[in-house]
Amino acid sequence: MSNSSANILDIKNIEVRYDDVILALHDVSLKVPKGKVVALLGANGAGKSTTLKAVSTMLASERGKVTNGSIEYDGNSINKQTPSQMVGLGMVQVLEGRRCFGHLTVEENIISGAYSRKLSKGDINQELEKIYTYFIRLKERRKSQAAFTSGGEQQMIAVARAMMAKPKMLLLDEPTMGLAPQLVAEIFNIVKELNTKEGVSILLAEQNTNVALKNSDYGYIIETGRVMLDGTAQSLLNDDKVKELYLGISKKGRKNFRDVLKEESLTKRSN
Amino acid sequence: MVDELLFFMEVVVGGLLAGTMYSLVALGFVLIFKASATFNFSQGAMVFFSVLAFCGFMQDFNIPFVLAFILAALLMVVVGLCTERLVLRPLMNASEDTVLMATIGLGYVLEGLAQAAWGVEVRRLDLGIGDFPVPWIADNLKLFISALDIFAGLVAALMIIGLFLLFKYTKIGLGLRAVADDAGAASSIGIPLKHIMLLVWSAAGVVALVAGCMWGARAGVQFALVDLALKALPVLIIGGFSSIPGAIVGGLIIGATEKVLEVYIGPFFGGAIEGWAPYVLAIFFLLYRPEGLFGEKIIRRV
Repeated sequence: MSNSSANILDIKNIEVRYDDVILALHDVSLKVPKGKVVALLGANGAGKSTTLKAVSTMLASERGKVTNGSIEYDGNSINKQTPSQMVGLGMVQVLEGRRCFGHLTVEENIISGAYSRKLSKGDINQELEKIYTYFIRLKERRKSQAAFTSGGEQQMIAVARAMMAKPKMLLLDEPTMGLAPQLVAEIFNIVKELNTKEGVSILLAEQNTNVALKNSDYGYIIETGRVMLDGTAQSLLNDDKVKELYLGISKKGRKNFRDVLKEESLTKRSN
Repeated sequence: MVDELLFFMEVVVGGLLAGTMYSLVALGFVLIFKASATFNFSQGAMVFFSVLAFCGFMQDFNIPFVLAFILAALLMVVVGLCTERLVLRPLMNASEDTVLMATIGLGYVLEGLAQAAWGVEVRRLDLGIGDFPVPWIADNLKLFISALDIFAGLVAALMIIGLFLLFKYTKIGLGLRAVADDAGAASSIGIPLKHIMLLVWSAAGVVALVAGCMWGARAGVQFALVDLALKALPVLIIGGFSSIPGAIVGGLIIGATEKVLEVYIGPFFGGAIEGWAPYVLAIFFLLYRPEGLFGEKIIRRV
C-alpha cells in the first residue's frame, strides 16, 4: 500500500484480447505517478486506445477482455468494475473522437458529467462556473446545441464534461485529433492547467508526439501492443530513435522500433 | 352541404381523438427506441398484459379501481425491472438485431403469462365513461363526439406533457437524453445504463397500461389489443422513431386519415380499410421521407 501510493495507476504486463481471439495488447506495463501527466504514444493500431479502455473498463462494451496481468488504480485492483463504478472512484475517460451529446446544449453536456455525483442545483451551478473559468469559450456558447459547435469546442466540451465528475485521474484519448495547431496548443494548455490547479493525474494517448511530450512528465512509446521505450518526456524528446521515428527527423528509411531492433541485432552479429 | 361538412368534421375530430391513443402507444415505443435503439416488438404484449392484469385485479380479486390501477402500474415496473435484469443486461453488448429478436420473444412470454394468469376470455372494462356522444357538444356544435374519445385525448395530452417535463427538467431525463445520443459516451462519464433502461421500460409499461385501458374500454380487453398496438409502427414511420412530438403528430395523422379513408374511400374496397390504410401511408413515407416528419436527422456540421 505504501509503495503504491506514489502511483495512482500501475499497469503490470497486461494482455488484452477482443472476441477472445484478437490479441490487441501483448505486454503493456506503465505507471502514472500521482499528479503527473503521462503520455502514451504510438501510431494507429498500436494499442493506445485499448490500453486506456482496459483501465476505464470500457473494454467490455467492445467485447474486449484483459486476459493477463493486472491493473491497480489508487490502491484498488481493477477487473470486475463497470465504467460507472470507475467514475465513482474518480477515474474518467474522455473517449476518442470527442463523443459529445449532439442534441443536448453545451451546458447540458457539461452538467451530464456530474450525473454520478449527488449535487444540489446550487452546487452544480457553482461547479459549472468553476469549469467555465478553464473553458471560457464554452461559456459563450453554453446555449448552443453541441452538434453545431466546432471540433475544438467539442473537445473542450468532452473534457469539461469529464471534469464535472470531479476526477482524480483523467484518461484522454487523442484529445487533439484533427485540430488546427493553435487549438492543439489551447487544449494542451487547459490540460496542463487542470493538472496543476486541480491536481488531476493524466494519462493521455496521442499521435502528436512532439506536443504531447512537451506537455508531459513521462512518456511511453508502444508499438503493436508492446511498450518499446519509456522515459522522462525530456529524455524521449532528445532520444535519437524517437526523433527519427516519431518526430520525423529521419536519417535512414527505418519505420518503426522493430526495424531498429532488427538492424541492431544484425550489426551485433556481424561484429 | 352544411350537414356534409359537419359530418366530415365529426369524422376528423373522432379520428384525431382516437389517434391520441396511437400516439400514446407510439410514445412507449419512442421511449425504448431512444434509450436502446431497438424497436420494442413486445410493446403490444405489454399493453395486453398490463390491462388484463388491471382487469384481473378488479374483477377476480375485487380490488377497488384506483388501487387496482396502481397495482397494475407497479406490476409494469416489475416487468420493466425483470426485462432489464433478465433480457437486456445479458445482451448489453449484443447487436441491436439481437435485442430486437429478444423483444419479439419477450412479447410471446408476456402474452402467455397474461393468459395463463387471467384466462383467455374477453373482459369488459368500465372506466365509468361511456362510449357515446357528449350531449352538450351534440346540441351546441352539432357534432357527435364520444366522451371516451375526449377523455382519451385529455389523458394522452397529460401524459405527454408529463413525459416532456420529465425529460427536459430532471436529472434522470438528462441522463436518458444523453444515453439516447451516445450510450458509450454516457457510460464513460458514469451514467449507469441500467437505471436508464429501468426507467424507460417502466415508463413504457405505464404508458402501455393507460393505452390499454382506453382501448379495452372501447373494444373489450382481449388478445386483439396486441395487434392494435402494432399500429404504432406506421405512426412511428410517419412521425420518426426517436421523436416524441413525432409520435404525437404521427398518431393524430394516422387516426384522422384512417377514419376519413374508411368513411369516404372504404366503400369502394368493401370497407374495413382502416386496418391496412395506415400501413399504405407508411410505405409512402418510407419511400419519400424515411426519417419521418420529426425524426432526428443525423446532424452533420458543414
